[in-house]
Amino acid sequence: MKYRTTAISAFVFGAFAATSVAQAADVTVVSWGGAYTASQQKAYGEPWEKSTGKKIHWENYNGGLGEVRTQVESGNVTWDIVDILPHEARVGCDEGLFEKIPSEMLTKGADGSSFDDDMMVPRPNDCVAPQIWWSYMAFFDDKTFSGDKPSTVADFFDTKKFPGKRGIHTWPNALIEMALYADGVAINDIYNVMDTDEGIDRAFKKLDTIKDDVVFWSSGAKPLELVKSGEVAMSIAYNGRVGAAILSEGESFVPIWDGQVLEEEWIAIVKGAKNKDAAMEFVKFASAPEQQAGQAKYINYGPMRKSAFDIMKKGEPWFHNGKTIMEHMPNRPEVMGGSIMANPEWWADNGDAVKERFEAWKAQ
Amino acid sequence: MSDATAPNQPLMTSDGRLLKDALQQSLRRSKLKALGLISIPFLFLVIVFAMPVFNLLVKSVDDNLINEVLPRTFAIYEDWDGTELPGEAHYEAMFLDLTGAEGIQIGKASTRMNYDKSKWKSLIKKSARKFKNIESGPYKEVMIKTDKKWGDITFWQSLGSMKDPYTFGYYLNAVDLRYNHDKSVTAQPENRRIYKMLWGRTLLVSLIVTVLCLILAYPVSHLLATLPLRYSNLLMICVLMPFWTSLLVRIVAWMIMLQQNGVVNDALVHNGLLDDENRLAMMYNFTGTIIVMTQILLPFMILPIYSVMRTISPNYMKAAQNLGASPALAFLKVYMPLTVPGVGAGVILVFIVAIGYYITPELVGGKDGQLIGNQIAYHLKSSLNWGLASAMGVMLLAGILILYWCYDKIVGIDNMRMG
Repeated sequence: MKYRTTAISAFVFGAFAATSVAQAADVTVVSWGGAYTASQQKAYGEPWEKSTGKKIHWENYNGGLGEVRTQVESGNVTWDIVDILPHEARVGCDEGLFEKIPSEMLTKGADGSSFDDDMMVPRPNDCVAPQIWWSYMAFFDDKTFSGDKPSTVADFFDTKKFPGKRGIHTWPNALIEMALYADGVAINDIYNVMDTDEGIDRAFKKLDTIKDDVVFWSSGAKPLELVKSGEVAMSIAYNGRVGAAILSEGESFVPIWDGQVLEEEWIAIVKGAKNKDAAMEFVKFASAPEQQAGQAKYINYGPMRKSAFDIMKKGEPWFHNGKTIMEHMPNRPEVMGGSIMANPEWWADNGDAVKERFEAWKAQ
Repeated sequence: MSDATAPNQPLMTSDGRLLKDALQQSLRRSKLKALGLISIPFLFLVIVFAMPVFNLLVKSVDDNLINEVLPRTFAIYEDWDGTELPGEAHYEAMFLDLTGAEGIQIGKASTRMNYDKSKWKSLIKKSARKFKNIESGPYKEVMIKTDKKWGDITFWQSLGSMKDPYTFGYYLNAVDLRYNHDKSVTAQPENRRIYKMLWGRTLLVSLIVTVLCLILAYPVSHLLATLPLRYSNLLMICVLMPFWTSLLVRIVAWMIMLQQNGVVNDALVHNGLLDDENRLAMMYNFTGTIIVMTQILLPFMILPIYSVMRTISPNYMKAAQNLGASPALAFLKVYMPLTVPGVGAGVILVFIVAIGYYITPELVGGKDGQLIGNQIAYHLKSSLNWGLASAMGVMLLAGILILYWCYDKIVGIDNMRMG
């Protein structure tokens, strides 16, 4: 009997202990892990903890709103803040999975301009706060090509001029845009062309030209391995991964900024978050210009706020190890002319159909 | 004879009750006790298994949401013949539905509508915003002016497949079919057909993995069962160690071994067996999925076969040979039939686990090693098309039940032994 009571109380105590550990954090932030989460922790996680005395619990996830939807629908919300892609920023708000964040709540620009004026793109809705710009871009190892070096995304699709395999990701986003741009479509026309069936056919025809040389990747570290080991001559990758390899590890990678596809990254508060007030405070802090600029000290993703750029330019060399960062920013004015701004609305509309077509294309 | 009880007099217990009643009472009590004992696992089963499965079934046919958002539109939808643009009444109904519904409901409905026809999402979203500025009808012209897609008949036609509160559309989608606007069934456009191919590949991979596991496991189990204890223990540890090792660790180990610049290829090239140009592609494709899944599922085959083989007395084989059978014949006629229950258990176990496999193909499958499980995960996590994910889940479950039934008919489920 004695043994049994002890066992039961141990169990109950254990259960309590488990829940109290989860509650010990004042706010739970869910992001993508790796160097990206590390940059968030250093740029505004730790400073916020220090100034408010509150604790952040960081969790990793692999994207997608499946878990957020499950939490909101079951009423058991354990995440407070989640770091999301442009598509999710729209769908999540449409479906009522996020709390509202009024513009007045968010910090003004460093130069005193209003929050909305300080944004490089308007917020798609009042559910999300700015994070960063990132991009899909082509890159190669300087050692791979001895003579002419590729410099445009058209070169990426030209296996005659630049022989060798090509690394691409396993989903269609950005590839359709790049293929059309490489095929001669003007940047401003790309989504108009994609709106027609013939446009999609044209993109797949362009993809067909490199199909025999394609190596697929699905995790962000893979393209770097592929290019470094020589398994492929060029690959598409996330610009931050390539930049980190150059800036921190001294790799001889060369980014091809022409034809990069710029994507937004937002943060949002999950509907019914248990620590909503703390989460609001945190979002306000994390999306302020100083913190946005601070994040670029640790990773070369671009801030979404104009005044954050000014802070960085004045502070060069800005990267934490004393290197200059501006030439690695995907959204700096010099490269914007050859950059494609991803259109999340188009992908929300056509993503499922194109994805199925892409799967069929892969399997052919 | 006087001490004999009369045959009609009922039997009594020592405390004077009817024996029959007392017996019944104690029986009832023990029955209740037994019921009480099984009620906990039963409830557990209902909560963690039966309810989710039921939920899955409901989700895979449920189409209520869209009917709640567009009640007026669907009420008169049948009046339209579907050949030309509908009349003012239909436009008015759609207008009233969209301006009357809650923002979040419209958001969810537009996602649902987009499954059947691309571009519904932005059309609904933009319209819901812009319609607020329209004050009165007639609506047809104004709506088409707001967005010319309202003048596109294919959008109106696609509504036909959504008008009932339940739908088998998701099941159709899961086998590359879809509804026409009059709910007749037709094939998906050719360049979007992927699911049939994925089902086929999933079955094929599961079959190959099961057969490979059986071929590899049978001799190993035999060794395990017949070797002297100290050797067989060591061998058993060799079987169990990988079984206890984390799945991810084993997958990554295979990646290091099999990739183009991996250990195996390097060794082959180093020994001159292979040109540097022609390194084998054994990872991130179909082959990689098969190799890794076979290794991971092998213990599920070895353990049941081993546990059955261990119970087979060596005397049977000796007796058979004693009676004149050659070792091969004795093995075929005596030993093998005795191992069938274990083989059956192993085959079923491996096949069922393999058919729903997802993490291994995700990591090593590359472009042609992805299975149906990966597609289910994609729809759960990214596209949020839970209806389609549920439909595929139900089909997977149904497939396994059919398999189980076939097995029962052919081998008999009572014959299956796990140990």
